[in-house]
Amino acid sequence: MSSIFSGWRSSLVIRVTGTIVLISILIISFVGTLLYNRISTGIFDEKLHIAIADAQSTARSIELQLQFAKYQDRATVKMVANEILAVPAATDNSPAREVALFAYPNVRSTLISSGTSNLMMDTSIPKNLRLETRKSPSTKWERTRILYVSGRTEEAIAVGHVISVSNFGKYEFYVAYSLSQQTSTVKIIARSLLFAGGILIILIGFVTWVVLRRLIGPVREAARIAEELTAGDLDQRMDVAGTDEVARLGYAFNEMAVALKQQISRLENLSMLQQRFVSDVSHELRTPLTTIRMASQVIYGSKDGFDPATTRSAELLISQIDRFESLLVDLLEVSRFDAQAAVMEVEEIDLVNLVRESIDYVHPSQERLITLATESERLLVDVDKRRIQRILRNLITNAIDHREDAPIEVTIRENETVVAIGVRDYGIGFSSKDRASLFDRFWRADPARARTRGGTGLGLSIAMEDAKLHQGTLEAWGQPRRGAHFVLTLPKFAGGVVDSHPISVVPRGEQLTEREIGDL
Amino acid sequence: MTLIMVVDDDQDLAEMLGIVLTGDGYQVDLVNRGDEVMSAFAMQNPDLVLLDVMLPGIDGVEVCRLIRTVSMVPIVMLTAKGDTQDVVAGLEAGADDYMVKPFNSSELLARLKVRLRRTGAQTSGGLSIGNIKIDQIAHSIIRDGQNIPLTRLEFDLLVALAKEPGRVFTREALLSEVWGYRPATDTRLVNVHIQRLRSKVERDVENPEIILTVRGVGYKAGVVGSSE
Repeated sequence: MSSIFSGWRSSLVIRVTGTIVLISILIISFVGTLLYNRISTGIFDEKLHIAIADAQSTARSIELQLQFAKYQDRATVKMVANEILAVPAATDNSPAREVALFAYPNVRSTLISSGTSNLMMDTSIPKNLRLETRKSPSTKWERTRILYVSGRTEEAIAVGHVISVSNFGKYEFYVAYSLSQQTSTVKIIARSLLFAGGILIILIGFVTWVVLRRLIGPVREAARIAEELTAGDLDQRMDVAGTDEVARLGYAFNEMAVALKQQISRLENLSMLQQRFVSDVSHELRTPLTTIRMASQVIYGSKDGFDPATTRSAELLISQIDRFESLLVDLLEVSRFDAQAAVMEVEEIDLVNLVRESIDYVHPSQERLITLATESERLLVDVDKRRIQRILRNLITNAIDHREDAPIEVTIRENETVVAIGVRDYGIGFSSKDRASLFDRFWRADPARARTRGGTGLGLSIAMEDAKLHQGTLEAWGQPRRGAHFVLTLPKFAGGVVDSHPISVVPRGEQLTEREIGDL
Repeated sequence: MTLIMVVDDDQDLAEMLGIVLTGDGYQVDLVNRGDEVMSAFAMQNPDLVLLDVMLPGIDGVEVCRLIRTVSMVPIVMLTAKGDTQDVVAGLEAGADDYMVKPFNSSELLARLKVRLRRTGAQTSGGLSIGNIKIDQIAHSIIRDGQNIPLTRLEFDLLVALAKEPGRVFTREALLSEVWGYRPATDTRLVNVHIQRLRSKVERDVENPEIILTVRGVGYKAGVVGSSE
């Protein structure tokens, strides 16, 4: 049942065929019923005419016979009266025709006896008909059932007539005509109508289905191919034959697919060229940069003989070469992500140890600026150590840069499948407007301020890419002057997914407001 | 005097390298093309080769492979690409170490010094690892009575593990012990060389008995006679 419903919703063929079949059923049953009524009424009316004519002539002839007989002896009258009720029983060929004769209550004579033919029961003649018949001399009729003493019954028309014979009195005379032949004829007609209607409906349904399928076929094909195009198979085309509307659909569809493919490959080429260019530039810059760096070190090495301005220049030269290089390294990393050429080198490492190392690397002094809260002392995970270390160093460096003399809290928490590292500072924070662009390349919250602190402006965007590469998430929360909270959540094992977040990005005690949950 | 062969197609960088190396007391031989390396190598017989990856003629990785067929001389690759494939290809071809451009002259000199140092014979004779005997004086190893040739770096790596049989070495510890880095991130260097060393000394590389992996930590020396 449910499959029919789902088919109804998803398949145009089923829906249209079903609707047409339903409408056909309604129309055909209406027409059929009308036809049936007309035919059965016609057949009945014809029988009624015959019956009335027959009943009238029979009554007339009985009246005449009795009129004639009363001038003869009593025995003749009795014989004639008896013959009235002597009607042959029904056979297969001739339907039942029964007669009933009832004397009016005031008739004294018993010469003409009341009675029925062939053991028909008196109740076969409806009371109403008898009352009507007695009231007026005209012929009356009514539908009824013939009831025999044996219990057999038969559809019939009863026709009533009054016979009056002078000297004897008035008599009710009834003839009941069986309708068995008419009933069976009507039954045959009804059955034929039903059969023809059924066949017609099946035929209509079938033809509709076949025609629709022929029409819908190419549409279905187009839908299937469109799905495959969407899935990335740009070489899919429709088979087209002829010049009709369906073929035009096919031609148009194929032209669209060709245009789509050209457009996509053009864009692919463009972005590939662009990525290649970035990568090549970064590589080509490295060799001269090496020479510059070595030369600057040689110059710096002999600074003892320089005046202060030249010495300072040599120092600036060296520090700017460092900065230039880290920019180059980050650019190259970004171009690798863009080209989707970033390769993970997964190994099993102790994450707690890695976090400790990262803290020591960024902030080597003994001053307790950064506190680490961890549930376990050893936490083995499958990650690319270099990338995770880069994320951690970046987050911790950011926290130190923006901390405003408040301490920094690093938290490690885990469950069965994932591990999370939170870096919380209570510094300048950022607005929820800034949160949206936090992970954008070269984005700086306050250009004038951040530039003095160095950094390439690519750190967080690379961190985000590194997290994604691990199937992990990197979320950020921040409030101006209340600080910031970054949470890195990673699957513990290679191939896992982040299905829960052991550390909520919104710190305890802080309100959750819109757009603060980082979404990936 | 120690002779270093510098193979680089960039004239300016080669010259700069020459200035820095000469300034530190090395003798320098400059080669510009990959296909000229082997003839120069045969003639000069340098103590160390500084090899750029991208070279005209034959590329650096191939040159490295060619040198390894005739010599166990220390080779340090210079690469513009820190990408994994490049570095690993060079290391697998037999390079001992690599420097990613741009590097510091001091860093370069420090690395070269480590590669050129003689492993001193602190302990005489009988050092062994698994069923392999290491002769530090003769600078050779013997397995089942057979002499197995190793590069100096591979020899150093094996000695480092063998000297402290019970100790589990992290990759970082091996880096500082053998390559002379302060704790750094580049553990690929260790991984590739452990694999190279295993392919030379292990009977079954898939099932090592001499250099054992300690999951999540690093490596340690196999116990003597553990294979018997």
